[in-house]
Amino acid sequence: MASAATQIDWNGRTHSYRPRPDWRDRISPRLRLHTTYDDNLDPVTFEVIRQKLWTINLAHGETITRISGSPLLASLDFNMSILTEDAEVVVNAPYVQFLNAGAPLGIRYILETHAGKPGIDEGDIWCCNDPWIAACHQMDVMFAAPIFVDGQLFGWVANAGHQYDLGGIVPGGWPQNAEDVYSDPVVLTPFKMVERGELRTDMEALYLRQSRMPDLVALDLRAQIAGVVLARDQIVGLAKRYGADTIKAAMRRMLDQAQESFRQTLLKVPDGTWTEIRYLDEALPGQRTTQRTQLTITKKGDRIAINNAGTDAQTPGTNGIPFTSFSGSITGIISVSMLYAQLFAYGGCERQIDYDLTPGLLLCCDYPTAVSGGILQTIPMMNAVQSILSRMLATDDTLRPDLVAPCGDFMLPVLIGYDDRGKYFGQAILDSFGCGSGARSFGDGVDSSGPTFSPLSMVLNVEQIEQWFPLLFLYRNEDADGGGPGEYRGGNGMRSAITPYRSQSMTVVTNSGGQCISAQNCGGLFGGLPAPAGHYLVYYRSDLLDKARSGIMPASIYDLTAEHIVPLRAKSNGAPLDAGDVMEIRTGGGGGYGDPLLRDPDRVARDVDLGYTSADAATTIYGVALAPDGVVDIAATDTLRDRLRGERAAWRASGVNDDSPFIAATGAPSQRIHAYIASVDQDGERVLACDRCGHRYCGHGGDYKTAALMDDAPATAIPSNVDPAHFVDEPIVLRRFACPSCHVQVGAEVTKANEAVKAEMVFA
Amino acid sequence: MRYIVGVDIGGTFTDCVAIRTSVDGLLPMVKIGKSSSTPPDFQTGFIAALRTAAEVHGVGLDEMLADAQVYHGCTVGTNALVEHKTARVGLLATRGHTDTVFIMKAGNRLKYLPANYIAHVAKQTKPEPLVPKSLCEGIDERVAFDGAVFAPLNEDTARASIRRLVDQGVEAIAISLLWSSVNDAHEKRLRELVLEIAPHLFVSISSEVSPRVGEYERTIATIVNALIGPPMRLYLEALEIDLRTNGYTKSLQIMSCTGGLIDADYAREVPVLTVGSGPVAGLIGAASLAKAAEVGGGRNVITADVGGTTLDIGTVYDGTPVRRPTASYGQYEYFVPTLDVRSVGAGGGSIVRTEGSVLKVGPHSAGARPGPVCFGRGGTEPTVTDAAVVLGFFDPTYFFGGKITLDTAAAEAALARVGATLGLDGKQTAAAALQIIDSQMADAIWLTLTQQGHDPREFSLYGFGGGGGLHGAAIARELGARSVVVPMSNLAAGWSAFGISASEALVTEQTAMSLSSPFDPDEINRRWPVLEARVAEKLVKQGVPADAVEFHRFAEMRYQLQINQVAVPAEGGVYDAAAVERLVATFETEYERLYGKGSGFAGVGFGLTSLQVHGTAKLSGLRVGDLVQQGADAASDAAKKPRDVIWYGRDGASETTSVYDGVRLGVGFKTPGPAIIEFPDTTVVVPHGCTAGIDPTGSVVIDLHAAA
Repeated sequence: MASAATQIDWNGRTHSYRPRPDWRDRISPRLRLHTTYDDNLDPVTFEVIRQKLWTINLAHGETITRISGSPLLASLDFNMSILTEDAEVVVNAPYVQFLNAGAPLGIRYILETHAGKPGIDEGDIWCCNDPWIAACHQMDVMFAAPIFVDGQLFGWVANAGHQYDLGGIVPGGWPQNAEDVYSDPVVLTPFKMVERGELRTDMEALYLRQSRMPDLVALDLRAQIAGVVLARDQIVGLAKRYGADTIKAAMRRMLDQAQESFRQTLLKVPDGTWTEIRYLDEALPGQRTTQRTQLTITKKGDRIAINNAGTDAQTPGTNGIPFTSFSGSITGIISVSMLYAQLFAYGGCERQIDYDLTPGLLLCCDYPTAVSGGILQTIPMMNAVQSILSRMLATDDTLRPDLVAPCGDFMLPVLIGYDDRGKYFGQAILDSFGCGSGARSFGDGVDSSGPTFSPLSMVLNVEQIEQWFPLLFLYRNEDADGGGPGEYRGGNGMRSAITPYRSQSMTVVTNSGGQCISAQNCGGLFGGLPAPAGHYLVYYRSDLLDKARSGIMPASIYDLTAEHIVPLRAKSNGAPLDAGDVMEIRTGGGGGYGDPLLRDPDRVARDVDLGYTSADAATTIYGVALAPDGVVDIAATDTLRDRLRGERAAWRASGVNDDSPFIAATGAPSQRIHAYIASVDQDGERVLACDRCGHRYCGHGGDYKTAALMDDAPATAIPSNVDPAHFVDEPIVLRRFACPSCHVQVGAEVTKANEAVKAEMVFA
Repeated sequence: MRYIVGVDIGGTFTDCVAIRTSVDGLLPMVKIGKSSSTPPDFQTGFIAALRTAAEVHGVGLDEMLADAQVYHGCTVGTNALVEHKTARVGLLATRGHTDTVFIMKAGNRLKYLPANYIAHVAKQTKPEPLVPKSLCEGIDERVAFDGAVFAPLNEDTARASIRRLVDQGVEAIAISLLWSSVNDAHEKRLRELVLEIAPHLFVSISSEVSPRVGEYERTIATIVNALIGPPMRLYLEALEIDLRTNGYTKSLQIMSCTGGLIDADYAREVPVLTVGSGPVAGLIGAASLAKAAEVGGGRNVITADVGGTTLDIGTVYDGTPVRRPTASYGQYEYFVPTLDVRSVGAGGGSIVRTEGSVLKVGPHSAGARPGPVCFGRGGTEPTVTDAAVVLGFFDPTYFFGGKITLDTAAAEAALARVGATLGLDGKQTAAAALQIIDSQMADAIWLTLTQQGHDPREFSLYGFGGGGGLHGAAIARELGARSVVVPMSNLAAGWSAFGISASEALVTEQTAMSLSSPFDPDEINRRWPVLEARVAEKLVKQGVPADAVEFHRFAEMRYQLQINQVAVPAEGGVYDAAAVERLVATFETEYERLYGKGSGFAGVGFGLTSLQVHGTAKLSGLRVGDLVQQGADAASDAAKKPRDVIWYGRDGASETTSVYDGVRLGVGFKTPGPAIIEFPDTTVVVPHGCTAGIDPTGSVVIDLHAAA
């Protein structure tokens, strides 16, 4: 770990709280920790207890949704976990993955800071929504209950759930126009909401006083408390039945197994450095600028180190995320891509992760940055992690089937107004949960799969939404060309259109992650293209009503005409919608994998037939010629593909010299480390060479991208993508890379035009 | 009526229970007929099973059928779905919403899948579409949530759509339009248009199949109905001809997942009601037994139907089975008023394996083919059944009453291979596997009860299916349940058929509403008579006298800003403001019982989302509990040779255990555990520290807390 990092005071005040290596030493001796465990736990009892802990955690979640009855919590915008006495996550749930990242941090903070005074006692339940301590943003409030067995702190159960409202300048808690945290929802450092089994009515009143919707927040408060109480009491029961040392041994073993499984995965991956750059648009609504984030993961042996250097410094506005969300992005994606067999028990993997972080940057921002509206920037961050982990998995034949390109980014339109009966409404349309997932190494991404980082998140029935809000969904379609093209394409997202119905007033507030409105939804892998941007496209004063009256309903926005057509910005505060106005929401698809010119032409034909790929993309991107009956014209396809591949011969060299160190041939067999590149011995040297034609890119420790042919094309070269110049002033391009010899496409990324070519994967 | 005949068609066997009633003063007599199932012409096996039952009663099939009522649990629809032998279906949906069935509510489709599938995103996929995209047509029309027509039905474009489907050779059409649950005019008109163009087609409309708010689940229900409509029509017509040929003149009554019987004509129209009716029959039998005789000491029952691949969990609360509004077909969820039976992947065929240094059991199953290793049909992976025979719970020479001889040595060797990496021998692996599967089953039941808001300590556990007797006591102990019942053990093979025969006629009708409190009583009063008339009409058609129909009204409500919907009983008669208030009070009480004190937010009022009427009528009048055990006293030779059994959780050594021939045990018999009671179709395991007895219904009842 870098020495600079150790000098930074990560105390939860200015910088995010991060436990120091000696944090346990500062726990007040008043608190007795249960640290013993039974060395001789047999494998059968272990499996029985593991299953019970998993079931208890699920029941914890069920209890929350049942009691709350909140549509937010029913759409699983929460997560719950079981932790050891020192707050390692033993069991986690398949809901929104990053939400639980706050629990180990918040609980360690409470242990370090409050174990002496006011003390941590049996029957307490702690509450906290401070993003620099325990919450991903203020709306996801953590409740954590210590589990005591025989007077010793045995472990914890915790949940984090999204609230209806906790104040701030915009109802609902996503103020995109917040310059700093004082415009955000309220920030509450950890306090006891329940003390020795008694709800503290003084603290409850203080908490509810912050909300525009106190009654509903009160219900969710009870639901979240009931959840931790149920889980806590069940675990106490288990400890009584099997013995605390036995249960603890099982918990430790689950952590050890997760750690070991993660270690074994890492050991299969060659040492090296992986880097991803992501841009975040308009820090404040209306700004035509974009900000840069850079995530670097270095893998050495069985450990990874995380670095945020190269990320822009935080500014006024909502593009920053605190350490909680930052670290949650990493463990969350590890959970679904490297630890799936451990059923989300990610605590053990954290032992193998080092952070070397500079505070005050957009990734890992300091107090008092506005962060509540910035929660959406966690999604492009998770997508960056997904890209990096997928590239790691691609380096090993047994791991490659587990890679998944990133899924669509997140768009969160919020509708606010009054219906014609005078009832106020203010709620997000969560159609982004119908995004497509990324392509895999063996097949396409899943269309409208839902997000990779929250596998169970759902799209609500149109009829359910129309019951609550004064609007009609005119259509909700699977979206052609929504996923990034590739040898395997990304899953498509959706296009939905809404129009006011029986509303007195309706305005739209838009919130969006990354560049998902201006340039791309997410990146592709290994020459697969990024997924195009989404949009909020408003047709003002359309001919909808006339058409409907005469029995014609639109199935696409292009079936309508309008007086004005306005694409809303990624962040905007209140575009009014009246009767006859229609807004189409295009949600994201997943990234593609591999060169589109290598896609099986029959798959392209099938996709065109089903409306998943446009006829235009079939020709221009996939190089597939279809006969009038929709069947592949093989000869014409061969010709077309040869021509398109030939065009790449004219791409330019990067101009960067290959300075990779000479590594002598190792005698090891050829190993694919990329869809089309292998590490192989060639003329006495270990090199990275084209797996298709044998062309040497560079030495084994070099950067194949700078050694490839490259080309900057308009971002609109991605089928159906928008022109970034509509939204941001800096030139944005689609940069593609190809083998200088056989011209297979090995890379494709949306980047600022003036960004230097950056290695995505360099082996040590 | 001299004979009550229940027939249950399973994947392998068709079971028939023929009860000679006491009409002529004789004791009622139960006989079981069995035959192999005969797919795809299931009616052949059906008649064969009837014939064997008639033979054991000593009468001809004609004679029996001439004076019988036949009740049928029908898996033809379920099988057609499982084997993808369904009709070619076209879908007509509101333009712009045909993709609903492909989008599948995104991640919601994974809700009931195993955790290891949910966690592994690289492996996830969507199932094959139920209807190909080329057979989905968007219809120009739109109704809003308030029932108002936003866009009229465009009959010209609709006709063109229908013709396109007909030209592509569809055999059935599913019609599902937005908000048809509130205003069904467009769906009904569309059906007329379809029948004008293609009078022979099977047409299924969502406002009749499942009039609930929520277009995805309603559309899937309608599609499933259409998929199995044509095969079901063929089957029932063939069966009715066969029955008539053999002298049967009455109407055929079919079991539905709703928990009651419907007549064959109605089953032809809404065959989706027969899907999943198999597990429901066992639950009905349990409810009948619990309600009539309080076997096991109460009216709260958990049912654990342990088969080869799944454990089906049901709940009876205060004598009434718990219901739910949806069922699942793979990743597809659809609306259907059904008893709440949940399947988890744990059963006799569950495979024992290691994953790293952890021993795992299930959820994968060896199924019937190749089956457990001990069956000797080529299975190589050890299963729970292998573990049970190795531990000594099953007699290798008396499995299925001796129909299969079990290869204990092969089972033990296979278990030893799996356990080797953990340092366990075959017997130790077997004990571990049984402990793990029992614990998993108990966990799944605990989670189910938690989700339903119940406490397992207030329940008895009824274990049936092939493995109910093996696992029942262990699961019940784990849950802290009161007692274990293995119902009518001697007639275990006929248990589902009993449930079917004991069922009432049940027809449900519902109408979706969108009322906000204070509810307008007139709005409610307008609906009840319509629903009741529809229910009565169906039941009368089913052969029930009009005055024998009992109506039960339910209102489904929610707190306006919360999503939990609860159906509560609603009073009869005409509603005024006071009756509406009483309805709200009932809802609040029931909501608190289910979701906990203070969990409802009344501040912004209540929503009434649907009114439902259930019409019931007695059919056979059979009460399962009334069938007493034949042969009164325990035969002296009921005790078989004791054998060595390894009980897990003890020291691993085998213990000599008493074994009884259940068939020869009489009412009043009692034995302390450890003991094993063997019946031809099931084995009941009685652990240490409890007492088992035979009660007047012929059920084995295990008191978990009292040693004799």
